[in-house]
Amino acid sequence: MILAALALAACTTQSGPAASGVHLTGDANPPGFFPGQVATVQGKAAAALYPLVFVIATIVFVMIEGLLIIIAIRFRSRSRSRDLGLPAQTHGNNKLEFGWTIIPAIVVMILFIAGFKTLSDEDALSAHPQVVVDVTAFQWQWNVKYPDYPNVAGDPLSYTGQGKDGPEMVLPAGETVRIRLHAQDVIHSWYVPSFFFKRDAIPGRVNEFEITPQDIGTYGGQCAEFCGLAHNEMYFTVRIVSPSDFTAWAAAEQAKAPATPAPPPSGAPPGGGATINVSAVSVTAGFNPSTLTAPADTPLTFQFVNTDPTVPHNFAIQKANPDQSDWVGQPPANGGQTATYIAPALKAGTYTFYCAIHPNMKGTLTVGQ
Amino acid sequence: MATTTLPQVRPYGRSRSAWVYEWVTTTDHKKIGAMYVATAFGFFLIGGLLALVIRSELAVPGLQFLSEETYNQLFGMHALTMIFLFVMPMTTGLANVIVPLQIGAADMAFPRINALGFWLIPAGGFLMMASFAFGGAPIGWTMYAPLSTRDPSTGIDLLLMGLILLGTSSILGSINFLTTIFKLRAPGMTLLRMPMFVWATMVTSVLLLFSLPVVTAGFIMIFIDRNYGGGFFDPALGGNPVLWQHVFWFFGHPEVYVLILPAFGVISEIIPVFSRKPLFGYRAFVLATASIGALGFTVWAHHMFTTGAVYLPFFSFFTFLIAVPTGIKFFNWLATMWGGQLKFDTPLLFAIGFISLFLIGGLDGAFLAVVPFDFMVQDTYFVVSHIHYVLVAGAVFAIFAALFYWFPKMTGRMLNERLGKIQFVLLFVGTNVTFFPQHLLGLDGMIRRIADYAPNAGWTVLNELSTLGAFIIMLSVLPFLWNVFITLRGPQNAPDDPWDGYTLEWATTSPPPAWNFEVLPAIRSERPLFDIKHGAIAAHGAALPAGPGETHDELRIDAPEEFLGQPLEGHEDASGEPRGVAPEVSAAAPDATVVAGAGTVREAEAAEKVVEKAKKKGPSAGPTLPDEKGPAA
Repeated sequence: MILAALALAACTTQSGPAASGVHLTGDANPPGFFPGQVATVQGKAAAALYPLVFVIATIVFVMIEGLLIIIAIRFRSRSRSRDLGLPAQTHGNNKLEFGWTIIPAIVVMILFIAGFKTLSDEDALSAHPQVVVDVTAFQWQWNVKYPDYPNVAGDPLSYTGQGKDGPEMVLPAGETVRIRLHAQDVIHSWYVPSFFFKRDAIPGRVNEFEITPQDIGTYGGQCAEFCGLAHNEMYFTVRIVSPSDFTAWAAAEQAKAPATPAPPPSGAPPGGGATINVSAVSVTAGFNPSTLTAPADTPLTFQFVNTDPTVPHNFAIQKANPDQSDWVGQPPANGGQTATYIAPALKAGTYTFYCAIHPNMKGTLTVGQ
Repeated sequence: MATTTLPQVRPYGRSRSAWVYEWVTTTDHKKIGAMYVATAFGFFLIGGLLALVIRSELAVPGLQFLSEETYNQLFGMHALTMIFLFVMPMTTGLANVIVPLQIGAADMAFPRINALGFWLIPAGGFLMMASFAFGGAPIGWTMYAPLSTRDPSTGIDLLLMGLILLGTSSILGSINFLTTIFKLRAPGMTLLRMPMFVWATMVTSVLLLFSLPVVTAGFIMIFIDRNYGGGFFDPALGGNPVLWQHVFWFFGHPEVYVLILPAFGVISEIIPVFSRKPLFGYRAFVLATASIGALGFTVWAHHMFTTGAVYLPFFSFFTFLIAVPTGIKFFNWLATMWGGQLKFDTPLLFAIGFISLFLIGGLDGAFLAVVPFDFMVQDTYFVVSHIHYVLVAGAVFAIFAALFYWFPKMTGRMLNERLGKIQFVLLFVGTNVTFFPQHLLGLDGMIRRIADYAPNAGWTVLNELSTLGAFIIMLSVLPFLWNVFITLRGPQNAPDDPWDGYTLEWATTSPPPAWNFEVLPAIRSERPLFDIKHGAIAAHGAALPAGPGETHDELRIDAPEEFLGQPLEGHEDASGEPRGVAPEVSAAAPDATVVAGAGTVREAEAAEKVVEKAKKKGPSAGPTLPDEKGPAA
């Protein structure tokens, strides 16, 4: 069975990760009997335990299954018609019982101590982590904040994931990174298979842990705790860069002007053209109204009201940009707030609009002549 | 002659309505047990159907058949159906039929509570299934708060109500089992002479009694949170979502042993009988069962390693420790078979399948107990694979072993062996094809409870394989359904003791009369029937040579009915020498045998009472009471 599965694992290598730059999946390694490449110091230590457990488990497996096969062949009843007499009626053997109590106990204690030691290293928190990142999970998206890296407006760098790929988290290699996990609504779990690690994000609680990224590259992550409707689309990516690249990246991001803040709503459409009112109700109820009409070839102003009390939403239109990419209203409106988005002029036709944070929230926009 | 040919149990009335009335109002533990088994099997088919829908959706990336909304309702209901409506009622039903027989009792201690316990199951099951019509329950079987407290679907309330009923049923059942086992054992049956299945049922009942009230209270708390603003688990209202996880897993982990200990008990019954040897290390088994029960309460938070809210080393330590008593069982089963004469009938095949596959589930458990590794695979398909190797390869295999083993006792009919073997092969292959690839998927980071996965992850082939396996498992159920169908239509042809058994259920007719026993053999060991057939000396001595003209098989196969009548007199071998046979308590001549058979005056009195009870019970329980010489005489 194991051989068959090994052969199978080899086959799946061919259908490995696609060439796409986006890692929608957790892991770029093909499935197999051993963990693939692990990118953090802590993760490497944890993954190093695996061969030890695997070898012990394999020995036990082969021993018991082997005994079972030997017994099944050697002690099968050879004849139904001829009585062989009763076999020896052995009721037990205290020495044997003692042996197969003590030896497994010793083996599992060795495993416990090995696991405990690695766990202590993994759980340790340093006094002065070099980078602190606040990660907030909410239905069904992530926000990544760098509290020590303010932008020109004085707010920390903050990235809310939009679309299925979620946000990207940039981390420096070789530095101690502390991640503080928050949850806004229900329990989520921050899981990066290539880090060999997950930790739950629990509302009303901040879970802190530290990782030391090591291998430069981009790694996929996903929410691992069932959190409702679009749980399977709660992706994010982590990009590990060299410390100098990280500094350069942070400096560039800090110097960027923050996304256009929503102008205060007023009677006159700020961008000219037509004004359309739309509100986001909730992730399950979607938009109100869910069908909109707009005139063609004129800039559109969307007065967007987020009536969802706690969840951020925004407004985006599929294939609305001249290059057929999606137009996305920025920045998202937090719970209970409003935003004004100015969209480019659209040609006549039917478009799908959606919330870029919650791509499952959809509606139809009909652009007429 | 004291030999009595017991009457077949006849239907109580001729009309269909009388038949229905009889089954609806029965307090006979065997009938209630049969209803438990049939109901549980019906829910097994429903739960299996849900699993097939889930696996079909997961076969390839993308959403083919289901929306996310529908998918999210299915996996939780699949788990709850299989746990609360299949495995638990199934093992309760088997125990209901078998435990009173194995301890030589006439019925359960509280027959009416027993009936109530059963009728709560279809009621609870109906409420749970009805939730699909009211928005479903997309919260998984663990119902983590605050997801479960905030989702407005009415289906969740129905689900909770159903589960509260099922919890009540199990609490009633476990009280009943404990009372029965402690108070109604036949004279001579000390605790350390009880069959292992009775021990397993006893420990299971204790586990249920300590854990189920906790989670039933928890279900009520969630209900209050949802409907009356309780705020137990919602942080927005000052509650603590981790508290729900503690409440849930304080039940949830002992529950795993509730599901698997009866399976261990079944395997420990079948292996010795089909090896023609006693259970190796009976006392070690008892201690291992009891310590699994005790340790089962110390490991609940190993389901919560990634919450960052529990003291990890404590729970890791005890999780490792629980591997030790489980290992003891494995080694003792192997030692039981070693040197035996294995008869590869279907029950033994399923038992060996159980040992070889449950082992994989157990070894997965050792991986998961290593906390840093658990951080990697918690909530992935590795855990899905682990739980299914424990519960499909474990509980389901043991349940089929038990059904094949005890079907003749329950119905008086032998299931077809050939169909049984076909079923075994299909189930064995299907289980491995379905669940083994999931190890690799989990190790590669495929999380569970997702309707869809990325096409670029390289998971497609393994998922296709897993889906293929699920359909093989489905195929394996078909021969069983056909087998039961044709067998129940056939004549009642099962001998009283078809497997050359050791325990008291084989000392009465197949099926037993309403009052269970005409006579009770004396109980001198954990194998009273073996002592009768072969003599107490044989039970502890070396292999007996078969004398000329005397073969044990002859006794077993050719004249089982006569043979079962014999115990009253004691079995004598060819030379006419009694082989140290223990005398019997006989309904026909209680005075003559009780004194000789019982060790103490007190036991003798108790034995007399049992006999009198059986006499009294006779007329009320059935219209055709045999007289002391047997109905035909």
